[in-house]
Amino acid sequence: MLPWARALESVSAGAGSGHKVVLVVIGGVRRTDTFSREGLENIPHLAHDLLPQALYYDHARNEGVTAHFNAISSILTGNWQRVDDWGRLAPTTPTLFEQFRKGLGVDRSDAWMVASNKALTSLIGASSASGYGPEFGANVVFPKQLMLMAVADALRGGRTANMADRDRIEAEMESAMEGNNYEGLGWNVFDAADRLDPRVRDSIRDAVARFVHSGGPTSGDELTFFMVREIMRRFSPRLLVVAFSDVEAAHFGSYAMHLSGIRTADRLTFQIWNEIQANPDYSDKTTMVTLPEFGRDPDGSSTNGFFNHRANDDSTRDTWMMVLGSAVDRPNVIEKPMRHVDVCPTLAGLLGCRQLESQGTLLGDFRT
Amino acid sequence: MAVSDTLPINLKAAVENGVLDRLPLTFLPFANQQFRDWQFLFPNERRATEQLLLYVNSLSPEDSSALFAEVIALEDKMKVRSWKFSTSEQTIENASLLARSPYFQEWRRAVQAVFDAAERHANTTEGSPARANRLVLIEIPRPLDLAADSVWQRWGQLGRPRNLEIPPRLSGSVLESLVIGNPRLSNGLLGKVTRRARNQYADAWVIDAGHALIDSALAMQPAVPGAVQPVLLSYSRLDACRQNFSREMNTMRKDLADADAVYDRLRKVDLAPWCPAEVAADPAAREFVRNLYLSGNGAVIFSNSFVQWAASEAFRRARPRFLAARFGVRSKPKPFTAVAVFENPDQVNPLPAVDDLPGSAVDAQILALYIWLAAMRYEDYAHATVCVCVAESLSQVRVVAPSEFAIAPGQSTLSIDSLGRALDEWIS
Repeated sequence: MLPWARALESVSAGAGSGHKVVLVVIGGVRRTDTFSREGLENIPHLAHDLLPQALYYDHARNEGVTAHFNAISSILTGNWQRVDDWGRLAPTTPTLFEQFRKGLGVDRSDAWMVASNKALTSLIGASSASGYGPEFGANVVFPKQLMLMAVADALRGGRTANMADRDRIEAEMESAMEGNNYEGLGWNVFDAADRLDPRVRDSIRDAVARFVHSGGPTSGDELTFFMVREIMRRFSPRLLVVAFSDVEAAHFGSYAMHLSGIRTADRLTFQIWNEIQANPDYSDKTTMVTLPEFGRDPDGSSTNGFFNHRANDDSTRDTWMMVLGSAVDRPNVIEKPMRHVDVCPTLAGLLGCRQLESQGTLLGDFRT
Repeated sequence: MAVSDTLPINLKAAVENGVLDRLPLTFLPFANQQFRDWQFLFPNERRATEQLLLYVNSLSPEDSSALFAEVIALEDKMKVRSWKFSTSEQTIENASLLARSPYFQEWRRAVQAVFDAAERHANTTEGSPARANRLVLIEIPRPLDLAADSVWQRWGQLGRPRNLEIPPRLSGSVLESLVIGNPRLSNGLLGKVTRRARNQYADAWVIDAGHALIDSALAMQPAVPGAVQPVLLSYSRLDACRQNFSREMNTMRKDLADADAVYDRLRKVDLAPWCPAEVAADPAAREFVRNLYLSGNGAVIFSNSFVQWAASEAFRRARPRFLAARFGVRSKPKPFTAVAVFENPDQVNPLPAVDDLPGSAVDAQILALYIWLAAMRYEDYAHATVCVCVAESLSQVRVVAPSEFAIAPGQSTLSIDSLGRALDEWIS
């Protein structure tokens, strides 16, 4: 039996609350470049289209390690993680994916993570906690890495001329998808260890084709968005985590490209919300939560300002969080600080999971 | 580790006296690396290392233990001894282990307190170093268009803008006129700085996103027989070096052990054949470039990041008395291959490179401020430093200066000559 068929068979559609959750995590952005008087111009959709209908937390604090793998795994587990920064070690306590799947007997097809960030590995999808682990983890997909692999393959094969032709780029990306070890890329979609499920393969292929021929921007986050939309349309997962990272161009010192990454994340987050509204599998039963992983370092810091995110400073630790959809009783601005580790238990509650002991606490402003 | 023959006698004696045995574990990578690289250190770095180790060596065992007590207590809490922690050099793995410890910030403060104590001791015993006037010149050149209402926004209370009269037939840029000189200025500031009797190595730096400024600086060489040469760094003139370096870096897989292995290899590779003559002939500058590339911050990717990061590192490591930095233009990211930003885009994508003038202007504006903020982190620049940032397309300069800087106050337009004379007087 194909993994997908097994997956369908084992789905317990009625488990949990019936609530769906989409969590959007943006890389490092400072408050001064987003929700501040001078930053609002970079986030027109978040500030003007979404804020009026949102539960908005003005202070979302990362009090853990402000590096990508640890920041995202802290959000996903409800505990401050201090594992290897480069994703060589899994989080040490159960992820939201595992709590959801194990607790409610939910199939892997209902838990996905789609990420642009190069600092993540497939170990982000499940913990090393006893009794949990990859068996209960998420499907983890890194579309940008597929693109990077296609570029690298073309370079190695002397086919760089292909990079100027959209049809050939599509072929290069398909070839990268077919010709490489998916596990190495971070795929662990369903239980297909040796090959992708045909429906997943088609989803990726369609997402790549739409991305390549859209005529729009061609950044890693754009491809991530196309993949997210395709997954939503084909699989309607109940728990979907998206990580955008174009903003991380800041590491190379281009402030203009960093701001462009913020505007891209703003637009794509809005497009995901629009997809939720338009898709009957999501509309009226979905909560979308958006927050940055952390801020960035302040101008004049010894860590070179916006380039990095290492300073022990509010500029790096204090950002914001926006909640939209079913969990919003009424639009509101919450001034009281919340912590990133509060996200996991709160979303677990929305999904109908039993609460595990964690450093995070339930956010009482969410409607459950 | 074997003590380098190049170490000064008093430091060598301190090492033989067991000073390294008194250092906490987390100080050893720093100390050992400084010894290994002694011949490539700038005078300021040698002085700081000597200050610390000679101070520790002068203490009784009890006082030495007290000095490091907080660091050692934190190391115990962090369980450093159970880490795979290199004591021979500073590695990426070391940095990663330290940074994800919950005690990292406390540890940093405790380490800084030790260095501060050593500096206070040196000031007490040797007297504070003589204060010399310093000068930082920055240029955002044409064709980078800047908006008059926002160009200085981030500078806040730092200095004042002044209009600058730029002759229509000026050959080269404003910065080139000031630094190198032209027929209207009998000589440029760089020549004067390098001719000063008290000038020492790495006192003067010129950093260029392109090559025109450095080409001109090289053309005016030699200034005076025996004069100490300035450190001259051009992003463009380092093209071959950078490309070879990034090719090596791109072989790096995404795991720390491998990253450290590649870094180790890159630390040993002979850069001289890849470097322009002015860098190849200067071992400390060559190693500075290597460390700049290895420390990220976009120095291998974008010319303006190179300029800013090189200037910041020059302040941190060499504390120059004169630094001139000129920004430039980068290309737009190319479709699809922009994700592979660490690659050489011209090698990966055959589409022609297109200048990103607005993006480069945005980058240069904030990076210009970052250069000045980097200088301000150090006491040496706190009082007697003038900073002039030229916004060429606006015919404006931002002048940050102490009150004794002899430039006509008020709103009047400055000429390049009058600005040059005031700066000349400041550093003479």
